[in-house]
Amino acid sequence: MIKVATYAVLIAAMVAFGFGVYRVAGSMKSDAGHSVRPSSTTAVALPYTMYVAQQGALYQFQGGQFKQITGDNGWTEPSASPDGTMLVVVSKHLNYSDLYLLAPNGQVKSQLTHHEAASVEGNHWGFLPRFSADGTQVFYSYDSTDPYDSSYRVDLAIYERPASQGGSAVRWTDPNQYTGGDTYPVALRDGGLLYTRYSIDDKSQVHSQIRLVSGRGASGSALTAAGDDCEQPALSPDQTSIAMICRRGSTQSTQLVLASIDAGSGQIGHQSVLVTGQMAAAPAFSPDGKTIAFLAPVQQGGPFQLWTVPAVASASPAAARPITQNVALDSGSAPVWIP
Amino acid sequence: MGEFAAGGIQPNRSRWPALPLPRASRIVAGFVLAGLLGLTAYFVPLFQSSATPLQTSGGGLLNPISGPTDPFTVLLLGSDDDTKFAQDQYNTQSMILVRVDPANKQATMLSIPRDLWVPIAGQGYTGKIDTAYQKGGVDSAIATVQNNFHVHIDDYVWIGLKGLVKLIDSMGGVNIVVTNPVMDNFYPNDLDTSSPYGYYRVALLPGPVHLDGIHALQYVRSRHGDLRGDFARSERQQQLLMAMKAQSSRLSISDLPDLARAMNGEVKTSISLDRIRSPFSVLGQYNGSGIHRVLLGPPFTSEGWAEGQSVVFPDWSQILPLVHQSFP
Repeated sequence: MIKVATYAVLIAAMVAFGFGVYRVAGSMKSDAGHSVRPSSTTAVALPYTMYVAQQGALYQFQGGQFKQITGDNGWTEPSASPDGTMLVVVSKHLNYSDLYLLAPNGQVKSQLTHHEAASVEGNHWGFLPRFSADGTQVFYSYDSTDPYDSSYRVDLAIYERPASQGGSAVRWTDPNQYTGGDTYPVALRDGGLLYTRYSIDDKSQVHSQIRLVSGRGASGSALTAAGDDCEQPALSPDQTSIAMICRRGSTQSTQLVLASIDAGSGQIGHQSVLVTGQMAAAPAFSPDGKTIAFLAPVQQGGPFQLWTVPAVASASPAAARPITQNVALDSGSAPVWIP
Repeated sequence: MGEFAAGGIQPNRSRWPALPLPRASRIVAGFVLAGLLGLTAYFVPLFQSSATPLQTSGGGLLNPISGPTDPFTVLLLGSDDDTKFAQDQYNTQSMILVRVDPANKQATMLSIPRDLWVPIAGQGYTGKIDTAYQKGGVDSAIATVQNNFHVHIDDYVWIGLKGLVKLIDSMGGVNIVVTNPVMDNFYPNDLDTSSPYGYYRVALLPGPVHLDGIHALQYVRSRHGDLRGDFARSERQQQLLMAMKAQSSRLSISDLPDLARAMNGEVKTSISLDRIRSPFSVLGQYNGSGIHRVLLGPPFTSEGWAEGQSVVFPDWSQILPLVHQSFP
């Protein structure tokens, strides 16, 4: 009887050993695609309050803890009102997206746009909303109907609409045709607007430039050179510094660049590269203007994590530090960082 | 005599049959066998894939890579393989020639326009180059490229829509810098549907992104909203290959079973799975500056009409010197 039991234990141990080998082999797989919900992990604590988006949900980040404040319903690209009491957020669905106003706790206050249509090509997109400096208006990218009725042309343009229900949207920019259009609006205090325009040169190379337009319908001017391929501008709270993402011809990596900006003259100063050789995206200044948050993978090929770097021209790339390790943040959703 | 016997236990009284190995050795062997079984179970998709290699209709490798430092050329073919088409009678919407020179750590990717108007090898007609695979299989596709571009192709890889999605998902996704908004009102809704002629809208915003298989497919397949049409798509396809190369450097041998599962039935190639790591590992040593990307837009080609179709005409006097330089 003892012998039978001994053999049974040995056989069970062998089976367990074989299963363990199987599990160990599986554990040696690369973990590039592995990620968790922000609310399932902790992170380095940062001052103030931050909002980020991941896979259809918004998360509030305070004291190193993430709290999910919406359901997984296509929520992305949040932006805060100047007083921090309201968020304007995109809700993306199949074929269309709309803008909503949300309270800081994630409660829906109102739906600003209604872009859903019965026919597929009758739908519209609304992306990348930002409040005006006084908080009464919202700037965003919108694909209007092609004036020549070509359903193939889908170019985004920058529009402005009231930050409340009702009222109509007015167009600010006229994008280059068949480039995908104008994106990333940022409102200036003096009523002007920063945005990103795309162009295709005679060698079929795509370029992006950050432009400044003083008012609706004005022609505006480029702040960055075509060869720098800069986009995703973010302004410091005092609007004297600009952070942006520049790829300089690369399609495999980007740079996080800091420069001074004079919105009055439409000039930016010397460009300092704060982060290079990574896929840095979506910069945002801290409320005190001393730090820039951005998104980038921690491991090559991995999902995007939250990082910070000092907002000073002399900061070395080594000064950048990852705040999260294993989430998968929407890289097109710049962190919202408010007091 | 084993250890148990040395301890005074009489083996002859046992009801268990006597085996030639001592008992302690049998126990060790049992654990080794169990471990091997565990490894075998883990890698079984790899063995299945290797046991049923997908080869050219002519059988065998076109031209096996003879050494780790010899340059080799692979023709990459991508097809819409949804239910609109008969089994294995697909056009190859994506045709990319890749030459890898391990010794010099150089690689060249040349995208062939799918509408390129050329004589189709073995079929007796002139038509769009993407029809060669449909009419004459991979042999015709390879011969058509070889005959027209005056290159030698060592191997090929064909992949369908689902195959690409599964492959990228099994790699954990890819990271790409989207250069401009990719907008398409008529993106085909032909995966996992009984109505393959439907469509939906696609919008990928510019900037660095992490794409899963479905969104990566949208990125390389969308073409309606871009001024450069099919050439923009070709450029994005090359960009995806670069991203996959970067991602492959992260993979370990433990990732191979997942890759094998993804590729089983979705990928056809003259390269067996144990050899497919070689090109990937070679490419993994390269940085971006060692990889040259070639698109055959103007002045190498011009758009026009032939037999009622919108086609791309080649200017061989411009193309062949370029090809000779890149694919000697």
